[in-house]
Amino acid sequence: MAGIEGAGSSSLPAVAKSNAFRRRARRELGVGYMFTLPSVLLLFLFTLGPALYSLYLSFFSWSLLNHMHFVGWKNFEQLFQMPLFWISVRNSVVFALVVVPTQTVIALGLAAILNQNLPARGFFRLAFFFPAVSSSAVISIIFMWIYNKFGLLNGFLSVFGIVGPDWLGNPQFALSSIMVLNIWTTSGYFMIVFLAGLQAIPAELYEASAIDGASRWKSFTHITVPLLSPSTFFIVVMGIVGTLQMFDQSFIMSQGTGGPLNSTTTIVLLIYQFIFSYGQVGYGAAATVLLFILILLATLATNWWFKRKLDYL
Amino acid sequence: MVGARNSFSYRLVRVLYLLILTLGALAMLIPFAWSLSTSLKPLSESMAYPPVWWPHPFDWSNFVAIWTMVPLARWFLNSAIVAVSVTVGNLIIDSLAGYALARIPFRGRSILHLGIVSMLMIPFQSVMLPVYILLRWLGLLDNYGGMIVPGLVSAMGVFLMRQAFLTIPQELEDAAMIDGAGRLRMFWQISLPMVTPNLMTLALMIFMGSWNNFLLPLLVANRSHLWTVPLGIVMFQQEYFVNWPYLMAASVLATLPIAFLFLVFQRFFVRGVATTGLK
Repeated sequence: MAGIEGAGSSSLPAVAKSNAFRRRARRELGVGYMFTLPSVLLLFLFTLGPALYSLYLSFFSWSLLNHMHFVGWKNFEQLFQMPLFWISVRNSVVFALVVVPTQTVIALGLAAILNQNLPARGFFRLAFFFPAVSSSAVISIIFMWIYNKFGLLNGFLSVFGIVGPDWLGNPQFALSSIMVLNIWTTSGYFMIVFLAGLQAIPAELYEASAIDGASRWKSFTHITVPLLSPSTFFIVVMGIVGTLQMFDQSFIMSQGTGGPLNSTTTIVLLIYQFIFSYGQVGYGAAATVLLFILILLATLATNWWFKRKLDYL
Repeated sequence: MVGARNSFSYRLVRVLYLLILTLGALAMLIPFAWSLSTSLKPLSESMAYPPVWWPHPFDWSNFVAIWTMVPLARWFLNSAIVAVSVTVGNLIIDSLAGYALARIPFRGRSILHLGIVSMLMIPFQSVMLPVYILLRWLGLLDNYGGMIVPGLVSAMGVFLMRQAFLTIPQELEDAAMIDGAGRLRMFWQISLPMVTPNLMTLALMIFMGSWNNFLLPLLVANRSHLWTVPLGIVMFQQEYFVNWPYLMAASVLATLPIAFLFLVFQRFFVRGVATTGLK
């Protein structure tokens, strides 16, 4: 900013100059706040505020219709004794543990291949990315039809003489089916993030390693993977945040029940049910707080793991 | 990297790569192709097992019937109203904040920036319960406001616009400042026109997110005349469970606007993801 003032008022005496500078700085302060005010207000109202409000609500018993009263830690105690809560935690965690590594590896593989000089790259990029821009609701409906007992998937399997189950109606397969759908949706999306990271790696590194006689695989594991770790870290964290709050697919494919036999009840679906089916706002708020803690711990663990890995390099 | 053996293995690897990409692309596109195929079949043929890929003859009647069966036109209108309002709001609010964070030096700016970016770690699903209670208290349930207001700003959008405004050369603003231009005029007349491609990216990403949003309309809209397309289709599915041709016709129609935008403006979408890595 000093440069601007210097250029703008070089002919003014020093006192006037510093006064003008101060006036400008004061005005700027106000303008800065005014420009950011709408964002800050809305983010506080619909993101940070609600997060804090859920902490407050988690200490009250309330059905939305009656008067709320303070119950201390009781909601948390009740939640910890509730088998359904632990089922939902297990489902969400298993979902994240399977989906995040799988989609990250697929996205990385696709990006590494697409980064080569191959024909029709534009088409492939388009095809892989398209599921990510489609509506989760529409995709869920389409997959319900594909996963149907007499749907496309079982029709395909019958060619090989396999009699497929009713994928979404069978508690053994329902969650896995949603995992596949989720991986299918997000892999191409994260592939684009990896592609951007790949393009930032200087080509000379590969040339040098080729001269040293390194194989393709070796230069992939020794150059590409380590240099991509900022992108990977980002993708893993976003993957964790996304999978731990999976809701749409579970809700739609189980008609809001989390069935069959609660096999697709995720934490967020349970929170939804606490409000709309059970009228237990306090339990829902307590579950929200625990979800935040879970996401925070998972993110910290990822951070720690990536840091440690980088130290070894 | 020379010699016949190498060039043979090079070609082999390329073929292998293309094979992987082709199989991958097929896996990505088959569900959409299958929904299109089903939407063009009469109910009886859609139930054929093993499934038939090519409808004979093409039956367009599903695409006609669904408009009268459910208020589909109304749902499209609702989706458009909500998505356009949310997009316009974000274009204004996100770029104002992004501009201030990038170009105006003021006390607390870096903390504000950090605070806004950290909001990315709190996605909507996780605060669904308190937001629902808040909307109920504000009287925003069962009206457009409830589906629009919570989406008017996006931390991702602010971040995206800040990155864009950071790239503008300072000299341009200096010149305007010497001419005595106020910040609002500088923002509107000089800086904003320079980030038009980024505004385009932002508009597309926000529009897509809002058009596809399922959870917020689910929380807000109880009455069917307020449903958006994704919510309406899901509700429709719960009513007409067995009629897959109708459902697939509705799904095809719901996907068309986004598919169109995506095909025409693909590079903006790709750049948006590459810059922010976020939806």
